[in-house]
Amino acid sequence: MTWFTRLKNAVSSQQLDADLADEMRDHIERRAADLEADGLDSSAALNEARRAFGNATQFREQSRDTKLSAALEGTWQDVRYAWRGLRKNRAFAAVAVVSLSLAIGATTAIYSIVDASILRPLPVTQPKQLITLASVGDTSAIGGAADDAGFSYPLYEILRAAAGNAAKIALVDAPNRVEGQFGDGDAPREDLVQDVVSENLFDALGISPAAGRLFSEAENRLAAPRPVAVVSYDYWVRRFGADPAIVGKRLIINGKAYEILGVVRRGFAGVHAGSLVDVWLPIALTDPGVFSNAQFRPFALVGRLAPGVTRTQLAARLQPAFHNHQVARSEAGPAMADNERRRLRGMRIVAQPGATGISTFRQMFARPLWFLLGVAACILLLACANVASLLLAKSVSRANEMALRVSLGAGRARLMRQLVTESTLISILACIGGWFVARIVEPAFLALVSRDGNPVQLDLALDARVLGFSVMICALSVLCFGVLPALEATRFQPASALLRLRASGAGLRLGRFFVGVQTAVAFCLLSLGTGFLISLRNVTSVDTGFDSRGVTVLHMTDRLGPQQRDQQLAAMRAIQLNAAALPGVKSAATAWTPIFAGARRAQRVILPGHPPSDAAETFYRVSPGFLGALDIPLIAGRDFDVRDNDNEPVPTIVNRAFARKYFGREPVLGMEFQRDDSIRHQIVGVAGDSHYGSLRNGAEPIVYMPMKPTTSFTLYVRSTSDARAVGEMVERDARALAVGMRVRSVTTLHDLVNNTILTERLVAVIGAAFAFLGLILAAIGVFGLLNYSVTRRTKELGIRAALGARQWTLCRLVLNEVMRTMASGLVVGFVGFLIAIRFAEAILFDVRPVDPTVIGTAAIAFIGMAVIAAGIPAWRAARIDPVLALRQE
Amino acid sequence: MRSSDSAKNALDLLVLTVLTRRGPQHGYGIANAIRHLSAEALRIDEGSLYPALHRMEEAGWIAAKWTVTEKSRRARVYEIKRAGEKRLAAETERWTAFSAGVSRVLRYA
Repeated sequence: MTWFTRLKNAVSSQQLDADLADEMRDHIERRAADLEADGLDSSAALNEARRAFGNATQFREQSRDTKLSAALEGTWQDVRYAWRGLRKNRAFAAVAVVSLSLAIGATTAIYSIVDASILRPLPVTQPKQLITLASVGDTSAIGGAADDAGFSYPLYEILRAAAGNAAKIALVDAPNRVEGQFGDGDAPREDLVQDVVSENLFDALGISPAAGRLFSEAENRLAAPRPVAVVSYDYWVRRFGADPAIVGKRLIINGKAYEILGVVRRGFAGVHAGSLVDVWLPIALTDPGVFSNAQFRPFALVGRLAPGVTRTQLAARLQPAFHNHQVARSEAGPAMADNERRRLRGMRIVAQPGATGISTFRQMFARPLWFLLGVAACILLLACANVASLLLAKSVSRANEMALRVSLGAGRARLMRQLVTESTLISILACIGGWFVARIVEPAFLALVSRDGNPVQLDLALDARVLGFSVMICALSVLCFGVLPALEATRFQPASALLRLRASGAGLRLGRFFVGVQTAVAFCLLSLGTGFLISLRNVTSVDTGFDSRGVTVLHMTDRLGPQQRDQQLAAMRAIQLNAAALPGVKSAATAWTPIFAGARRAQRVILPGHPPSDAAETFYRVSPGFLGALDIPLIAGRDFDVRDNDNEPVPTIVNRAFARKYFGREPVLGMEFQRDDSIRHQIVGVAGDSHYGSLRNGAEPIVYMPMKPTTSFTLYVRSTSDARAVGEMVERDARALAVGMRVRSVTTLHDLVNNTILTERLVAVIGAAFAFLGLILAAIGVFGLLNYSVTRRTKELGIRAALGARQWTLCRLVLNEVMRTMASGLVVGFVGFLIAIRFAEAILFDVRPVDPTVIGTAAIAFIGMAVIAAGIPAWRAARIDPVLALRQE
Repeated sequence: MRSSDSAKNALDLLVLTVLTRRGPQHGYGIANAIRHLSAEALRIDEGSLYPALHRMEEAGWIAAKWTVTEKSRRARVYEIKRAGEKRLAAETERWTAFSAGVSRVLRYA
């Protein structure tokens, strides 16, 4: 009876009962048929057959008990036996469970993040009907996909109308952090995640309220919107103790009051994987300029298909309206380059599956996450090979016991079952351990990918898929490391085993195979990890052209609304001067949105007598002293001064990259050029090259222009104090100035720069951790095999030593066992690395696929490991005392 | 050897012997063989054979599988396994020694 049938019997005894009844009825019917053939009439024959059979019910009960208790007892016995075995070999058990725990933990952690951010559908009914809209076109053209990823509000209205009853289409903004305050005056301020959405979002997704009501048509009055907000279930419980009375109360967000309209039902926290939204505001409350501006395209469109409508049908239905809009867009405003116009007109609208919502986190990390999951799977394989070889070595030491049991009549299947139970027990323990490891690793992982002030939030609660994954991993690892050694351990003839004639050659062969696998996987991981580390080093040591250390970046906002132009400039100037005079501050300057924050203003450049440039260049408004504050050298000409303003020709500083690109070797001071909106610029200075938004691209052309009044700007402060202290001082100053300027957020230039290499950092940290883990596991594997081999060959080695073999010869004898395997493992690992690196090429910086530095470093680390792991047993072999060795038998 | 044990052992011995000599059988076949061979001297409830069969199956001495008979009925057919053969050899030896002992006492007491 197989294990499986036993289990089936234990779980569903109905089938068992039916089988037993069938069998016994069969007997009685046969007996009755025979009696009838002897001449009895049919009813008498049946009675006689029943009498001869005896108490059928009682026998059935007996059989049933036998079978069920055998199922339970057998299993229980195996588990107890396995547990005893593990306790007897604590070192083995600890190594096996801990190494598997780490591997399973790493795999589970990465999987649950993959699950939460990539795979899990939104908690809505029929998520398969959900779509997201995207406009696609020739991304090879300038400007690329990033430029056109979003939708404008006017386009949203057009598409919503065009969709008609084929789909409900809703608009969402990217979630952002805001300052919330419940109640007036001194009520505490809290950090909230806010998302601005169209009023039909909840309706489209099919989300119901838990209290109050959600947005409706009433919130779509763009002319006179009522200030209302909807809060999330989580926030409602966390902040208000699920008090239904909060409906109708006032919530202050960024200084404005909103009436709480209702609470969204449990489980829904927005459509963005990676953020958990606390408060939703209707789009109608946003700056009215947005409603007519087709160039302002920060929004994403999600929707739900009507039953029976396919995504292709919807896209076809939207395409004409979309095309008209694109044509209108290409003709509006200043003249556009021909290829740009063609690109706009050639774009198509597509409806993509939207079951998992939208996520910038996903766009950024999906690829590295899948890659890391693959790497984690390799680690798991490595750990399995490790435990398998340990089990194998152990099984040899138990060969006598096994042989004895086979001789006493134990079936091979029965022994196998016991050994596999032991593996299963290890695996279950490791899964529990792995679960804890995952719980510890996950927050660390999220911290690693979070930006300052914008943490990645994922709902990592246990769900069926993650649980299923863990169970699958557990089962898979048993299959990987338990079954082969069990087959091996039970494969022998009892007689020869008892006589200790067992040829353990087979066991060793399998052990060598495992060492080969370990070598291959470990070397592959090690090279990858080294590659990632070197890539991170390369990207962090890029010369940005400015000095980011000690620069605090303050995001300043104007809370009083439009002011007189001169006043506002004067206020910005006052804040800059005051900041520069603070203790410990070397210099201060103001500018637009900070560099390395993902925003830029890009325009084409027109040289006199030339068509517009192909590429749009970066234009950045800065105050006098900006170059000095960032330590960007001024190579020629002059810095801005307070008298510079936006009057044409606009005084302009360009960097060398710009000068080289547009003017070659000609002197550029005094030269003029135009923007594509026909504004004239005159070059008054040349600055050193610097990076603007990314460490990866080289120094790009940048045009600096004088400041203009804006409602929000950046204050760069170079100082010796830390960012928080600078922030507090500036905030105090700004209040004292009473010009309506406030500090919105504080960060450092260093953090801003680092935020752009989160992926590199993530992959490097995790890749290096995996490489290290892999190396340790491989070391354990090699050590285990050789150590066992030395034990097995003690007698032989002793004889050789007695006959005068040199220590070195003995060493070599032992090392020979693994040399060839490890060499071929290295080759396989190298090939694996070459394949794997192709998938990682996009995240590597300045590392070639076959990079001698990477491979050299990995090889040195690996050989170092091998020398230690193989050296100890070899040393032991060399020092064998012939007298002791020969006496051992 | 307790008496119930010895009865059980005797039944096991008979079943294993029948299966060895006559090949795979269903329960009814085994019961009939025992009945006829013992010249109806061993009158036990035929049904008590089944718990014994199932116990031996659990112990791994015999294997069972469902087959469909010529009358297209389900029948469970038992077959001896290697462990069962070993068991049979050991039990036969023990039984021979036991019965030899008993008959010696009967003869010479």
